[in-house]
This record gives sequence, C-alpha cells and structure tokens, in this order.
Amino acid sequence: MSILSVQQLSKNYGYIHALKNVSFEVPKGSVFGILGPNGSGKTTLLGIVMDVLKPSSGSYLWMGEPGSNEQRKSIGTLLETPNFYHYLSGADNLAIAAAIKGKGKENIDKVLETVNLLQRKNSRFNTYSLGMKQRLAIASALLGDPDILVFDEPTNGLDPAGIAEIRQLIIQLRYQGKTIIMASHILDEVEKVCSHVAIIQKGVLKTVGTVQEILSSKSATNVQVVEIASEDIKLLESVVKDMPGVSAIEIKNGTLHIITDETVQASTINRYCFEKGIVLNTLLLKRKSLESTFLEITGNQSDR
Amino acid sequence: MLALLKIEWLKIKTYRTFWILFGAFVLLYPITFYFVANKYMETINLKSDETNMLNSILGAPFVFPKVWHSASWFGGLFFVILGMLFILLITNEVQYRTHRQNIIDGWSRTDFILAKFSVMIAFIVVATLLVLLSGFIVGIVQTPSTSSASLFEGLNYIGYFAAMAALYLNVAFLVAILIKRTGLSIIIYFTFVCIVDNLLWVILTLKDSQFGYFLPLEAADSLVPNPFKPKMMERRTVSDLSLLITSACYLAGFGYIILTSFKRTDLKT
Repeated sequence: MSILSVQQLSKNYGYIHALKNVSFEVPKGSVFGILGPNGSGKTTLLGIVMDVLKPSSGSYLWMGEPGSNEQRKSIGTLLETPNFYHYLSGADNLAIAAAIKGKGKENIDKVLETVNLLQRKNSRFNTYSLGMKQRLAIASALLGDPDILVFDEPTNGLDPAGIAEIRQLIIQLRYQGKTIIMASHILDEVEKVCSHVAIIQKGVLKTVGTVQEILSSKSATNVQVVEIASEDIKLLESVVKDMPGVSAIEIKNGTLHIITDETVQASTINRYCFEKGIVLNTLLLKRKSLESTFLEITGNQSDR
Repeated sequence: MLALLKIEWLKIKTYRTFWILFGAFVLLYPITFYFVANKYMETINLKSDETNMLNSILGAPFVFPKVWHSASWFGGLFFVILGMLFILLITNEVQYRTHRQNIIDGWSRTDFILAKFSVMIAFIVVATLLVLLSGFIVGIVQTPSTSSASLFEGLNYIGYFAAMAALYLNVAFLVAILIKRTGLSIIIYFTFVCIVDNLLWVILTLKDSQFGYFLPLEAADSLVPNPFKPKMMERRTVSDLSLLITSACYLAGFGYIILTSFKRTDLKT
C-alpha cells in the first residue's frame, strides 16, 4: 500500500491554476523528491495533503485512508518556512508541538541534539539565525520519531556544512526505513538523496518514477549536458540557440548549460562557436544526470 | 477543552505582552474602582444638601446592594484591554504562521478555534471573579452597617458583566479571524466598540425606539447601564431577559461565523 496517494489534485487561485490534475503514489520506504522550479506548485501540493490548503478538486489518501488529525500527528512536517512563536525559546516551542502531537517532552532534547541546537535550546526563537530556525523546524518534524516525514526545501537557509549534515540526516532516516517526501528546486539535492522523483512544472506533473527509471528513460539517454561560457554570455546564448542538436539552454552561475544530442561532440560545439566569432573559455561535457532530464522535460528557462 | 487550554497556556505563560496587558486590567480596574469609591464617599460624607440630593437620586453607587452594579460597570470600562489582548493572541498566530503549524502538527481546525474559546472563557472567569471580589471589598468598606444591607440583592449584575465580557471578546475574536492583521484588527475593533456601536445606538434609540438595545454590543452593555445616570433618565423598556437572549444569539451567531470561516479558509499569511 502506498504511504501517500494523490488523485487528480487541482488548486486554483482565481484564474491561476497552481495545480492541475496531479496524481502520483509515494511507496513505503522511499525518499520521494518533488522537483520543480520556484512557484511550480510544490508547496501548494504539500499544503493540501497537510490540510492547511483546501483543494479545488481531487483527493488524497494517507496509508489508504482520507487525511485526518490523528494521521498528521504521526507525520513529521516542515512546510515552507519554520513557523514558531518568536517570543518563546526553541525548547518551549517544541514543547507546544509535542503537546499537540500528543508526544512527551522527553523527546525534545534528543531531537535538538540531532540538529545541533541543544546548546541554544533556551534562547528565544527570534534570536536564531535563518539556519538555526530551519534546524529547529527539522527538530520539530523529528519529534516522536515519526515513520513519515515531509520536508519542504529542508536545506533552505543552511550553510554548506549544514546542508551536508541535513542531507546526511535524510539518508540516515531512509536507512531507518522511514518514508520521506521532500520538495526541492535543487536538482543536485534530489539526485543525491532521493529514490523517487516527481517533476512538476507550472502545476502540471511532468513525470514521476524512480530516479534510476527517469535517468535511463529513452529521452534522457539520448541527451547530454554541456557547460560552456564566453566573455559575452548573452551573445553566446543567442548563437548557440540556433546550433543543430541543441534542445534546451539555461544560464546558471554565469555559464550556459545546454542540452544536446548525444552525438554532438565537444569539438563540434567549440568549432561552431569559433566560426561565429566567439571564443569559449569554458567547455565541460557533464555526465548524464537528472539535470539533463529535468531541463529536457521542463524546456527552456524562458518557457518555465 | 482543558487539554487545549493547557497548550494555550504554554503559548502565553512567558509572553511579556500578555502579562503587561493582563496585569494592566487586573491592577488598574480594582485600584481605580476603589479610589473612585473612596473619593465619592468622602464627598457624600460632607453632607451638604447638594450631595445629599445627589445621593438620593443615584442611590449610593458604592454601597450594598448597588455596589455590584457599579463594580460591573467599571469592569466594563477596563475590559477593552482584554479585548485588545485577545485580538493580539489570535493575530500573532497568523503573523507567526503558527495557526498553520498547529494544524500541520495535528490539531483540527475546530481544535484551534476551541483552544481560543477556552482562553476566552478563562478571561471571562478571571475578570468576573475580579469584579465580584472588587465589588465585595468596596461594598464592605463603604457600607455603613453591612449586616442590615442585603448583600446579594444586586448580584445579578455580576452575571450581566460576564455576558458583556463574553460578547466583547467574541466580537474581538470575529474581527481578528476575519482581518488577520494585528494593527488593523485593533483599529477596527476600537472604532466599532467606541464609535460605530454608540453612533448606531443613538440613531436607533431616537424617539424612544428600542431597536438600539438590540445592537451586538449594546445588548449586553445595556444590562449594565451607567450607575451615575439617574433612573428617571433611563428610556429602556425592553426586559433584561430579552437582552440576555439577544446576547446569547449574537454569541452563537458570531461563534458559528468564526468556526465556519476558519474551517473553510486556506491558511496562508
């Protein structure tokens, strides 16, 4: 039986369709990534299954049953931003969450230790840094050792060491047999920790399956990502756009990530650019990854 | 309900603003009432003809049994502080998005509203006990011979105070749930309580019309009229019972709107 089953979920805000007929199943024991650009509907989807947003149509089942308060008590959730009473300490905030969940206070120190916040447990929430607030939210989700965890952008606001720690924590939780549903716009994150992925764009589910399945799908095996850069990145983009075999382009950290047919060689790209009067200062053929699939599925940047 | 109140207590027990505003009511009201009573009685005891006449018209407002009426009316003057505090406790939840988090953590939306109602009942109980105690102490101090006075005669005013408190907090709850923003909610609440309600009352009681007494806040307010207003100036002819029933209807109606609107809405900021 699926942990979460989403059936034909739609959500409209006036004329805006935040979600359109989204359906998928989250298998037990999986780390299920929901991947999509900002504003694609990930948080809306999670908000609906946690009953803070009402769907316009469609339904969802947790462990084969309609959502209920008792179920939410046994699901650890971090949704969008850490939501706590600013004037209370970290420990006092967790005491409220534990009381609502019907769990004892004895868990609090343990979860604070897991996220390295034990020393600051008596400091007020509004004195915490962004990263500490995020850690506290993760600690709150871990209260009562739930078997299902829902994390919305769990590494948001964390420094590189914090990001690595949280990813490690998620992998550990997975080894403990927990099911984790994780929304993220960071491809790298999903690829590193998830077993399954659903790709959402503009509220539409583009594809869903195991990360392996999606990587080895026919379309994905025929393409590759090539990272290129030159002095004038805009000029480069306009030139490369028309190159035969290029299917999608994204500007990322001052370089162009282009999706090309597998048959296109690095030397071909170099020659093509040179002939158009552009000297490349970067040319990297990247391994096939979720990124190429993602870019291919979601199309050009301007198209998202 | 008690379990919900316990969780609400965790939210407010170390909240400084809560203690400042709650303390302001608990201290300012009895102290003011006590000193006004003292000053008034000192003036009366001068026994000039004028004050004697005043006393006979007003009926000794700080002496048993009328002291219950005065204590309730003074309590009403200070009760807006608790109304404001109650708005703050609700809009804080929206501002911190903890209303979302409480639901995510496993409360139903009804639980959330019932938890706030439990706080409201606690406020009413504490305030009513304070009015009872203040009235009793001032009565004991100011009544010349307590034994002869009928101590419990005007005690129904304490119940009227509770009804008034319930209605004021219920309106605060409604405003906070619908408006969501702290500043705007408090402004709208005060505008309604201090201006709109009174203005409508004046219009709806012109030419001895009784409609004004059935306004949301006036229904309970009119149960505890100004004790310094001579009886002969009172134009109300509708009974206390009908006003109590009206108050109960408003309480139920507003409670229903609060609950259904919160159950239906998307919980965003």
